[in-house]
Amino acid sequence: MEDFIYFFTFQDPSIAWVVLGITLLGIGSAYVGTFSFLDKKALLGDAISHAVLPGICLGFMLAGEKNPVYIVTGAFLSGALATFMSSWLKRNTKLSEDTIIATILSVFFGFGIVLLTALQKSGNPEIAGLNSFIFGNAIGISESDLMLYGGLSILIILVLTVMLKEFRLMVFDPEYGKAIGFPMKTISFLFNVLMILAVVIGIQAIGVVLMAALLITPGAAARFWTDRLNPLLILAAFFSVLSGILGTYVSFVLPQMPTGPWVVVFLSLFALISFLISPKSGMLFRYFARKKYLRKTHRDHLMKALYKAREEGKRGLTIEEIYQLYPYQKSEIDQSILDLIKSDFISKNQSFIILSEQGISDAMRIVRLHRLWELYLNESMNIAPDHVHDSAEQLEHLLTPELEALLEKRLNYPTLDPHQETIPREKS
Amino acid sequence: MIKQVENPILEIHDLTVSYDQNPVLWNVDLSLPGGNLVGILGPNGAGKSTLIKAIMGLISPTSGYVKVFDKPLNDVRARISYVPQRESVDWNFPASVLDVVLMGTYGKLGLFRRPGKKENEIAMKSLEQVGMSGFVSRQISELSGGQQQRVFIARALAQQADLYLMDEPFAGVDMATETAIFQLLKEMTEAGKTIIVVHHDIHSAMNFFDWLIMLNLHLVASGPKELVMNEEMLRKTYGGKLNLLTRVTDLIRQQDFNPLKS
Repeated sequence: MEDFIYFFTFQDPSIAWVVLGITLLGIGSAYVGTFSFLDKKALLGDAISHAVLPGICLGFMLAGEKNPVYIVTGAFLSGALATFMSSWLKRNTKLSEDTIIATILSVFFGFGIVLLTALQKSGNPEIAGLNSFIFGNAIGISESDLMLYGGLSILIILVLTVMLKEFRLMVFDPEYGKAIGFPMKTISFLFNVLMILAVVIGIQAIGVVLMAALLITPGAAARFWTDRLNPLLILAAFFSVLSGILGTYVSFVLPQMPTGPWVVVFLSLFALISFLISPKSGMLFRYFARKKYLRKTHRDHLMKALYKAREEGKRGLTIEEIYQLYPYQKSEIDQSILDLIKSDFISKNQSFIILSEQGISDAMRIVRLHRLWELYLNESMNIAPDHVHDSAEQLEHLLTPELEALLEKRLNYPTLDPHQETIPREKS
Repeated sequence: MIKQVENPILEIHDLTVSYDQNPVLWNVDLSLPGGNLVGILGPNGAGKSTLIKAIMGLISPTSGYVKVFDKPLNDVRARISYVPQRESVDWNFPASVLDVVLMGTYGKLGLFRRPGKKENEIAMKSLEQVGMSGFVSRQISELSGGQQQRVFIARALAQQADLYLMDEPFAGVDMATETAIFQLLKEMTEAGKTIIVVHHDIHSAMNFFDWLIMLNLHLVASGPKELVMNEEMLRKTYGGKLNLLTRVTDLIRQQDFNPLKS
């Protein structure tokens, strides 16, 4: 708890700096990453982030120490080489994109590990810090590192904000962009540069292995919540920043803990929560929506049974009779009866059930939709009368009043369905 | 039957287009008068979309050139509007109908400038013209195929161009909408615009277009509807590919380089 207060009140200026840095990094990478996620280039981000490792090692070798400028430049160049090679290979060979990306990723990363191992054997005392580039260590970032990484983050955020319209076009409809004379090649080149920069700014805090997660997961998680680009970008940045800060906190409290994996743990948590509970596209929402719909179908079936009983001249049905109509659905029937009594569609006297005024009208509508659809299938789609029932059984719950009106008009207000049963309407 | 015109609004000179080294259009040479509703007809794989894309400069031709308003394409792009095929984009992209239609104003805005009030008004007016005013803030993935098509047409209208190139704008559109859109296009041509439409339905083509271009890997016909719509032209267009041409195409494809490139 003490740690928690110490960390989050930012008494320690170095913590305040780190949090500021991780915030900028989070916004920048989520921003770029969301675009590449929408552009279906998520794998490219993964390849680039692995591919910067040899550049980091070469930068270290050239400088002879952990000089951030050398390391960032090395990382950038090696990421750029990987990106260039993957697009060159795609243009000039018949290899598929996933093959190319998988190859580039493993070749570059393997070479990076070779260099790193060689460096570790060299006995340079500064080498210890280099290991943090694999899984990241946000707490170990010095102020001068922060200036560089933070500055690059701000650059990324600025360029993306100024060119939002151009990047939107690049992802949604690049061919149209070309048609209206926009330099789409330059725009997509610039985007690649931003993508590599977004990886580079994260190497110290998150590490090369997991940087791709910080690019892609925020956008993917945020996509569950919104259908608009601007809120999507903001929400992705929010997820990313929050996970970044939480991950940093964990590596502050437990000094041996690398930051990257913890950031990814928190990010995944947000993604999982979004996947489960977001409205419309979340799993839970869809589960309940389906359940609600099934309950409605059971109610509709019960009403229909009661209506048909009336057609045969009975006042209503006993519960036993209903159970017999729909065997194996006892509990659903009981539930439907409770629901319908509550909404005044039926009334129950001991075990005898009859439709109310309101119930008759609603049941009539369901039967009408059923029979109209059967007739439509038979007349307009040439389906035999003995094949139309199952489809009508499903669509009677679904058809809207507008479609009902359209059906009526199309079939010219028919009186009989294909089974010679009356299509019931309210008397006007 | 290829009718050339004086002072054409669009001139295609000896245009050959190939994908990789697979020629898909052979030596198309035609010219079009302004103010017409022009249909491009032909069977699947005849090169209809390719012709449109080559006119727009989206594919560079193997040989030949295109002139629009008697100028090279890049000088007059602002006056040309393009409607790509609906399937060419991912409609799950997070955007509203208005967002997409606003893209029509990007060309005039140029780089970096953002659409403002004036652009919004243009977009709204374009949506009204295609009868989609009620869907301004709808997410594009929730639209039906026909509605998506209308959004694309609205985007093209928002460009306020003089020449419109539309690639299968009636694919997946119901009859009522098709007639309404044709009506709109007719009004536009009466106002002096030229509209070129890739179309697949010969029957409605007869009713709506003024001028027809018939393709089948090569140019079969180009001329006023009354002149070119006859049995011979239709047979040449739809009666299968020329056997010899197909074999030459295969021969070219089998080379290790592109022999058509000079």
